[in-house]
Amino acid sequence: MAIHSTFAISYASLSPIEPQFKSKPKTKLNPPPLSISTNRSSVDPLQIQHLFASCGHSCHRFPRTGPDGRVELVELEKLRVALAHSFVVVSVLCKARFLEGEMEKGALGFGFGDLFGDSDQRLVGFGRAVSDCGLTASIHDVVVIPSLQRRGIGQRIVNRILRILTSRGIYDISALCTEKERLFFKACGFGFDSLGSTTMMYTQSPGPTTENDGFMVTTAGRMQLLVPPPTHQLKLWKKE
Amino acid sequence: MCSLAAPRLWCHTCLSSSRFEVRNELLPPTVYLRLKRKPEKRLERWFLKAGFWDSIASSILKNNNATETMVPPSTLHEEEGEEPIPDQLLLADRSLSDGTQEQIIFSLTGDVDVHALQDLCDKVGWPRRPLSKVAVSLKNSFLVATLYSITKSPEGDEERKQLIGMARATSDQAFNATIWDVIVDPSYQGQGLGKALVQKLTRALLQRDIGNISLFADSKVVDFYKNLGFEADPEGIKGMFWHLPF
Repeated sequence: MAIHSTFAISYASLSPIEPQFKSKPKTKLNPPPLSISTNRSSVDPLQIQHLFASCGHSCHRFPRTGPDGRVELVELEKLRVALAHSFVVVSVLCKARFLEGEMEKGALGFGFGDLFGDSDQRLVGFGRAVSDCGLTASIHDVVVIPSLQRRGIGQRIVNRILRILTSRGIYDISALCTEKERLFFKACGFGFDSLGSTTMMYTQSPGPTTENDGFMVTTAGRMQLLVPPPTHQLKLWKKE
Repeated sequence: MCSLAAPRLWCHTCLSSSRFEVRNELLPPTVYLRLKRKPEKRLERWFLKAGFWDSIASSILKNNNATETMVPPSTLHEEEGEEPIPDQLLLADRSLSDGTQEQIIFSLTGDVDVHALQDLCDKVGWPRRPLSKVAVSLKNSFLVATLYSITKSPEGDEERKQLIGMARATSDQAFNATIWDVIVDPSYQGQGLGKALVQKLTRALLQRDIGNISLFADSKVVDFYKNLGFEADPEGIKGMFWHLPF
């Protein structure tokens, strides 16, 4: 087993108790060798954009979908800013030749081999965490390409993030989950808040009446969010 | 936290050693461009008068033993197209029954004395947290909003500055933000100060195109946030928390 400079995972050593990999018919791909990295410079935002698109993943919690049902591509510039301000960035890479079959099946239809240049490493999994580096952290955008899902890669991404956070003494770690993602995070050791807090998100949209004239509105995915107006001065009660 | 667009002279104000330094982090250039707004809108949002700065400068700088003076905010913004985001905002100016004058100042500069914050947390009954961790968290939060009460005695010579409220938000500065630790001194609650804190944080985040603003509310304050435009479990999105393995 070759040892890479980043942490190499070989399925043969990972899962000796899972005989189904060994018994797969020879016409299918053998489990590809993967490497997992926490080096944010080894991650190309363009590859992340492609990965998100192939998973139907959006960074907006309420994404806009096109007429074909696909989510809009994540804005590259915003992605760069998000990566720069994420405390932990985990990427799972795989050599392209192990994925040729999958890449051709990939829905985007144009030659990504040229797009990514000489590097033969393809991004197949990703996850990141945002933190205040002291008390709290939140995990976002954990994705694995569809053809390699259900093999424990997502769980390894989350475990790697958890390991880094706990080594820095951060134990209050949250993740916003849709219904579909709940089972995945439960398997990673997440549960609902033991203190019983309610998750809330800002969803105030401008009302239908003209009272909203002059109010700023910003767009997040398919949501139109009303920007609270500035308060000039409060009418506070006199203290007795 | 000095990670807002407008360069701040407050960053250069010397703080005493018991306070922690604000990290003077400049935004990458692309984020400055995103804050461009239509010129005719800028004046509407500029709500601080030049005279106000002198009064605030003299009262606050006196406490900090600094010698720099504030200049009116209009001269801070030299870049074309930048939205003027005020560092400080006078929320209230009133006389109390004993003749003292009280001003309540909202600030986004993020300078918080962790000891003053701990006293505030004690007042509301929150459990204590290691001060060093609190200091690091505040330093690395994207936005820290504070409410200070500045009281002047009737004679005008004694001044007291007291932390009466705080809220902070962590963010990746692009898509996601979470609001934490919204706290208001119990003797100042019920006057709209908590609402002002959250609304200003929300406004600051939305102005930067950060669309996923979340928070985890105690059952007692869910209605408070509902009135501010927050929705519980929207479209089934719930927060899950890591449980330490046994």
